[in-house]
Amino acid sequence: MDIGQLLATAANLMITGMVGVFVFLSLLISAITIMSKLASRFEQPVIAPARTPSIKAPGVPSAHIAAISAAIAQYKNKQKL
Amino acid sequence: MDALLNLWQATGIANFTFPALIMIAVGCLLLYLAIARSFEPLLLLPIGFGAILTNIPVAGLSDPGGLLYYVYHIGIDTGVFPLLIFMGVGALTDFSALIANPRMLLLGAAAQFGIFATLFGAILLNYVPGFEFTLQDASAIAIIGGADGPTAIFLASKLAPDLLGAIAVAAYSYMALVPIIQPPIMRALTTPEERKIQMPQLRTVSKKEKIIFPLMVLTLTMLFLPAATPLVGMFCLGNLMRESGVVDRLSNSAQNEIINITTIFLGLAVGSKLAADKFLTVETLGILVLGALAFAIGTASGVFMAKGMNKFSKSPINPLVGAAGVSAVPMAARVVNKVGLESNPHNFLLMHAMGPNVAGVLGSAVAAGILLALVG
Repeated sequence: MDIGQLLATAANLMITGMVGVFVFLSLLISAITIMSKLASRFEQPVIAPARTPSIKAPGVPSAHIAAISAAIAQYKNKQKL
Repeated sequence: MDALLNLWQATGIANFTFPALIMIAVGCLLLYLAIARSFEPLLLLPIGFGAILTNIPVAGLSDPGGLLYYVYHIGIDTGVFPLLIFMGVGALTDFSALIANPRMLLLGAAAQFGIFATLFGAILLNYVPGFEFTLQDASAIAIIGGADGPTAIFLASKLAPDLLGAIAVAAYSYMALVPIIQPPIMRALTTPEERKIQMPQLRTVSKKEKIIFPLMVLTLTMLFLPAATPLVGMFCLGNLMRESGVVDRLSNSAQNEIINITTIFLGLAVGSKLAADKFLTVETLGILVLGALAFAIGTASGVFMAKGMNKFSKSPINPLVGAAGVSAVPMAARVVNKVGLESNPHNFLLMHAMGPNVAGVLGSAVAAGILLALVG
């Protein structure tokens, strides 16, 4: 085969190859999209997590709670260092 | 006196040929790059050492009966080593970024243009006296643009075993050079505004989707491109072992022991192909040039595709992520992240670049399948 013929084959291969890659990966895109939709449909409804009991204790002013949590956070940060 | 002469005849010094010495120097250069410069050390170190071993006179490590001869025939001639590595890569790959944003597969597809354009370029090089690449040779060289070592070795062992050494060395060297080759191209093709584009946060992907994904990829490959099933099949096996969560022991082996052992022997076997008569040719020079070209074109076409998609897409796409379409996981994604941060210090593109990055692995495996089907 002379070079001209080879070049024509190579150009042909370039076009078929790129079309092939794009078609295949586009198919994959649609397959993923469909799969994600189906998966989300069959997903069990997420049960809302039970609310953590409020730390509000009767008789303790919220300002105190804030101050204490701030102090704890500060202490923890210092411990990290 | 005769005995002394015989002993002299058995020394390396008496038997060295000049080309073999050059190849040993090439092996030492690879060792230097691996050890001192940390260029893909996991592969370049065994490859470099293999190159030294194979060029030792008298010992005949690569002749029939020699160790490297057997390692090559068991592992690479049969295509087993690259496929085992692909299984490990599958077990190491997390597809959630791609499943969350499947359109990124288009970027992985666009970057494969580097492969097919280089195929054309390799044939074009035949006009230069001294080059005689067949279509098979050209395909094997072009796959360097896939930026995927195992795929390149797999395809080269099937299509052009004579060029395998040069192709593997070029593929791994350029993968190590991704942080140097890609950024200038990425900067040249994008405006600073484009590089600043922030992309919306990716949704979380359920375990169910991650388990179905490898099976789906395998089904599609089976139906449309069976030639790619050795590569894609092993890849999907590794990925399924990872995501199913029930065979952690197997998944860990694939990710660590198996891939490590295989890497040692794959490197040695590739190094054994760095024999003077095969490597010290003008064709090697051509392969090195074409390989760099393939990388550059792949990067550019990925960026262009991302620019186009950004124009038509509702959610913004930063064109930089297109450059990650040339697999080279995860180096290319890191490079994208780095270049993105230069323009906008608050813009973390790493996760967004992982999508096209793993899409590139699939894309180059598909491209290899197409080449095998059409040229092999």
